[in-house]
Amino acid sequence: MNKQINNGFRTGLIFGIINIFLILIGFPMVAGTIIKDAIHNDSTVLLGLNADILDMLIFMGLIGLWAGASGGRRLKGEVDTWLDALASSASSGFTNGLLVGGLAYLLGALNDAGVRISVYLAAILPATIKQLLLGKNTLDGALLEFGFLFVTGLLGGALGFALRGQWRKALGDWWKKIWSGFVNSAWVRKIRSHPLFMPAVYALGLVILYIIPQEAGKYWNYTLGTVGIYVLLGLGLNVVVGFAGLLDLGYVAFFAIGAYTVALLTAPNPHHLMWSFWVALPIGIVLAAAAGILLGIPVLRMRGDYLAIVTLGFGEIIRILATSDLLTPFSGGPKGVSAIGGPTLFGKPFSSDKDFVYLIMIGILLTIFVTTQLRSSRVGRAWEAMREDETVARAMGINTLTHKLMAFAIGAAFAGLGGVLFASRNQFTGPEDHNLMVSINVLSVVIVGGMGSIPGVIAGAFALKGLPEVLREVQDYRVLFFGALLVIMMIWRPEGLWPSSRRSMELGKADDNAKKNSGAPGGKP
Amino acid sequence: MTTAIETLGLTKIFGGLVAVNHVDLTIPEKSIFSVIGPNGAGKTTFYNCITGFYTPDEGTVTFFGESLVGLGPDRVMYKGIARTYQNIRLFSSMTAIENILVGEHSRLTTNFVEAIFRTPRFRKEEEAALNEAKRLLKFVGLAGLGDQVARNLPYGAQRRLEIARALASKPKLLLLDEPTAGMNPHETKEMMHFIRNLRDELGITILLIEHDMRMVMGVSDQVAVLDYGSKIAEGSPEEIQRNPRVIEAYLGRGATTETVN
Repeated sequence: MNKQINNGFRTGLIFGIINIFLILIGFPMVAGTIIKDAIHNDSTVLLGLNADILDMLIFMGLIGLWAGASGGRRLKGEVDTWLDALASSASSGFTNGLLVGGLAYLLGALNDAGVRISVYLAAILPATIKQLLLGKNTLDGALLEFGFLFVTGLLGGALGFALRGQWRKALGDWWKKIWSGFVNSAWVRKIRSHPLFMPAVYALGLVILYIIPQEAGKYWNYTLGTVGIYVLLGLGLNVVVGFAGLLDLGYVAFFAIGAYTVALLTAPNPHHLMWSFWVALPIGIVLAAAAGILLGIPVLRMRGDYLAIVTLGFGEIIRILATSDLLTPFSGGPKGVSAIGGPTLFGKPFSSDKDFVYLIMIGILLTIFVTTQLRSSRVGRAWEAMREDETVARAMGINTLTHKLMAFAIGAAFAGLGGVLFASRNQFTGPEDHNLMVSINVLSVVIVGGMGSIPGVIAGAFALKGLPEVLREVQDYRVLFFGALLVIMMIWRPEGLWPSSRRSMELGKADDNAKKNSGAPGGKP
Repeated sequence: MTTAIETLGLTKIFGGLVAVNHVDLTIPEKSIFSVIGPNGAGKTTFYNCITGFYTPDEGTVTFFGESLVGLGPDRVMYKGIARTYQNIRLFSSMTAIENILVGEHSRLTTNFVEAIFRTPRFRKEEEAALNEAKRLLKFVGLAGLGDQVARNLPYGAQRRLEIARALASKPKLLLLDEPTAGMNPHETKEMMHFIRNLRDELGITILLIEHDMRMVMGVSDQVAVLDYGSKIAEGSPEEIQRNPRVIEAYLGRGATTETVN
């Protein structure tokens, strides 16, 4: 029993501290705005509560439930009875409530004493404090807040216990039965074994890909394009980092080379070349790949951290060159290059945001094709072996120098493609498009998605670049969200959102078998 | 009998420490040759000099008449030398069969353009490579475990997989670095039979570093003893067992006098 209480106490402490942190930066109020948009409008008054306070209660309630449910979570197998669950969730809810209630009382008391807290903490306005105290006076409000978190903690514990125990098993069995019944039923089998099944699935996929940009508005097509470019960059970096295990922090350099190639070749200034986009595209890709090889040569013998630092430097060099006075007549300097040409198709311009979504999709499909083919070949296996143990890979006859160069060049070529599409779509590119944050973002996409996993990278790009667009409300908190997501991901899913699975090669292509065997790094031995 | 590998005056110095000191060894083809010696005697350094991990400071290494000095590990592999490691070094998050496929790398010839377009030649080569990997898996007794991730395999299986990976390159010389480390007597006995099979069935020359004396004496044609980097004895297992310098190196001077008395 002591163990459950202790664990609950610790969990409550963690939740309480996170909660205090969120309150101090004003997050519950922002979350409240989202809840407001999602479920009710401003004027609703429920149970005699005003809308702001209702939102606060919903937010705090969710946190409370979570805290309670987490109370016994880490004691797998030791929370056997309702009493155990009660003990851990009660102590968790109590601690969480005490911390938040204490903060509410403190803030309320200071406010009552006439201290203007917003001078020190910009997010804590008198109205916020009022909301935190649920519209009551200081003591009542703080006690009410405490009680509310305590009760929701208990409820969360009960809920968590129920979901963990037999209910969960029953639910799982039921679902498994339905699913296997469906998969094994005669007509599903018949369809799946038809020779046209896979082509039909691909065709359906293509039709869906065709329809999405048609239906999406201008704003969403722009967003989709941005996400798509990150998918493209992520897939390219995935070859370098995920397949070959070379930590490249200067990936943006190749992106910049692609972007500047199309810019300088197609824009009226500074060179007035006005070449066609379709000519500039392959040149951009080839130049980026060549830069990949050039960067590769000096860093070939470096590993891990050293490689990261050198590539980081390379990325910065490209950006600084772009801003330098020396190259201003050549590359437009800090002002960048504008009026970059877009693609044309049969003499007609093909450069709306919607058109670019199609181009980017084609780029992505091409990238997926090339990377999947390479992955299951001699080259892909050599990359993976190099990532696992470079010394032994060499002793297996793998020429690590050429394979590293190949990974750099292929990754860079995709970045070049991304850069060309990016600059051409925006009709502008400048040094600020190519700062270090781009490299970091793309690397985050790969890590969050799952290193070496192609669907993972796509999922990662949508999570990191798509979600902030959906959550416009929390735009101010994007960086915070980003950071929190990375930390949470690395703790709970170090292998990424969609980890790479291993192909089953000895015993046919039974997917289940391969998945079962693809242990996460640091998973059970 | 032809000589598989010959070292003359092989020397490797780390700072002030002479790890391998003028070692001359001649290993006949299709023999099982053991290198023994106390911990730190320079056995693994000797291996690393042969396989190109280290460049020897002095001396020559000749493999079927060709010099190996100055070649990197990847080139040495292409000459026909494969090795295993004292502490197992598999590609641990790849499956067993993928490990063997990597071992076949030096024998495969398709490049990345052929891989992207899946040319008929590529398909044929990959299929043959996969069949060979399955065959090797069976040969080392791991059939059915091919899709397991290497790190999840039991210890003995990992040792055997490492040998299968080395065999995948079809080497003429196999260097085994303590293949029975951490094995129980039963497993050691199995490994002994297995090594003998490699030589008898595949005709591979085997160079063995080993601490288990029953194994060394049971399996080797010839044994060389290193101590402080120098070769102190060489001969048949029986001769080595009787050699007072060897007993001294292992057990100290007192032991020798006692045995002699």
